Amino acid sequence: MMTFLSKLFPSQSNEVILMISIILVTLLIASVALFFTKKAFPEKNLKEIENRTKSWWIMIIVFICAIFINNLASYICLGILSFFAFRELYSVLHFRQSDRSALLLAFLAIPIQYTLAYIKWYGGYIIFIPVIMFLILPPILVIKQDTHRITKSMAQLQWTLMLSVFGLSHLAFLLSMPDLEGFSSGGRGLLLFLVFLTEINDIMQFMWGKTFGKHKILPNVSPNKTWEGFVGGVISTTIIGYFIGFLTPLSTPQVIFTSALIAVFGFAGDVVLSAIKRDKGIKDMSDTIPGHGGIFDRIDSLSFTAPAFFHLMYFLVYPPFQPFEIIWKNLF
Amino acid sequence: MEKPLLKSICLRLTYKVLFRPVLKFFVGVQYPDCSFLKDEKQFVIIANHNSHLDTLSLLTSLPGEILWKVKPVAAEDYFGNTKLKAKLSNFFINTLLINRHSKREDGANYSMNRMLKAIDDGYSLILFPEGSRGEPEQMSKMKSGIARLLVQKPGLKYVPVFMTGMGTSLPKGGVLILPYNATLHFGKPTLPESDDPHTIMDQIEKDFGAMVEKYGIKDDDDDE
Repeated sequence: MMTFLSKLFPSQSNEVILMISIILVTLLIASVALFFTKKAFPEKNLKEIENRTKSWWIMIIVFICAIFINNLASYICLGILSFFAFRELYSVLHFRQSDRSALLLAFLAIPIQYTLAYIKWYGGYIIFIPVIMFLILPPILVIKQDTHRITKSMAQLQWTLMLSVFGLSHLAFLLSMPDLEGFSSGGRGLLLFLVFLTEINDIMQFMWGKTFGKHKILPNVSPNKTWEGFVGGVISTTIIGYFIGFLTPLSTPQVIFTSALIAVFGFAGDVVLSAIKRDKGIKDMSDTIPGHGGIFDRIDSLSFTAPAFFHLMYFLVYPPFQPFEIIWKNLF
Repeated sequence: MEKPLLKSICLRLTYKVLFRPVLKFFVGVQYPDCSFLKDEKQFVIIANHNSHLDTLSLLTSLPGEILWKVKPVAAEDYFGNTKLKAKLSNFFINTLLINRHSKREDGANYSMNRMLKAIDDGYSLILFPEGSRGEPEQMSKMKSGIARLLVQKPGLKYVPVFMTGMGTSLPKGGVLILPYNATLHFGKPTLPESDDPHTIMDQIEKDFGAMVEKYGIKDDDDDE
């Protein structure tokens, strides 16, 4: 399988090919296990797990094609993901009729943000939404002269844009990071590490909670989340992260710290989106992915782990950007 | 009634192949499964009306094989004011044009008679009893024409369809479509419980009331 995959993605390093193989084999084992469980217990209702597994196949194949076949296509696909995410999130947040033009403008920010990532202009990319859109959108709202609840619209619009466009576009900028000497996997390796670990963390938290969960961690937000799930998830994610550390240029202590950070921020993203769903009285954000719910039901963790992971990498392994010695010197 | 092959293929291509992916992926319309409509011989879809997207979304949601026999009822003065427009809308939207200001004396041209004729011919209809497009997320009073139609065709089922978000995506007077997760909610095909138009109207309003309660987008700002 690995030789086939290396033929399919000739420009990818052996580490990335190995990781893709591991993912596909894991999913294959899960599907086979599900098939035999169905045969052994035909009376059990496995429809939801079946739908989920099917959706996993589609999501993973789309993800692999999107990220590893063509460079430009990767940016476009991630931009489309942001578009879906933004549309879904603002749809549940109740904007006013007079917010239409600002919302249209916010949609326009998506291609601009991803173009900035594509042309590798870090300065423009990092300020475009937090500074430029932050200064442009409120006056656009004000032009309509409808001040009733305008504060809420201003706050919600910026926040939605930050989470679904700024946050997720960090996935794209990982691909724009410069090559490091002695590290062949590059930004794609880091992206694969981040996405795999975030999703594994979701699954681990879920499984530990299901098996050993007793003490609720945030009963008023997400009654199914437990301390056992959280701690078990963080520990197992950290261990798995240690073993797939070959995708990163990090040293062992750095890999352990990064993996634990992904686990904690993944949990944070999950509960933040859960809280919003609870506030709006909905179970799923939409019905885009069968068995999973909406886009944000799947990438809620990723919208938090992506910026966290990116900026940690930026600090730890990309000294051309931010010479560590200078920070050190300025500090003392 | 014979199936017009060319028209059927044309409608399926237009709605299922061309418009549905655009509505689903770009606009973000969420489609429920309504394959149960294949089992109904004839029905009248009753829907709320806030946007030009309403008819489009309804037609794209229907099973492809019955598209040719479902006619949206549309205003003649809007969709048929020229010969060409009437021809085009008949071919591509499969419309049944009615004159909103026609009177009983107009005979076959009276809007009610046109609808009855279409039902006699075996067509199903899509009706917007609110008349014209209202404010987003607000339902105006439904006109009683639908009840009078159902009274005259006992055994004809109606299907209430409640749509949310269409007016947010493309409101009346709007030019640009704002992508928004608008949703269609299909009710069950229902027989009128009585032969009195007022009771039927109450029944329909109750159906919609329940759907508004369950799916409606509530303005959550009023509780402060």
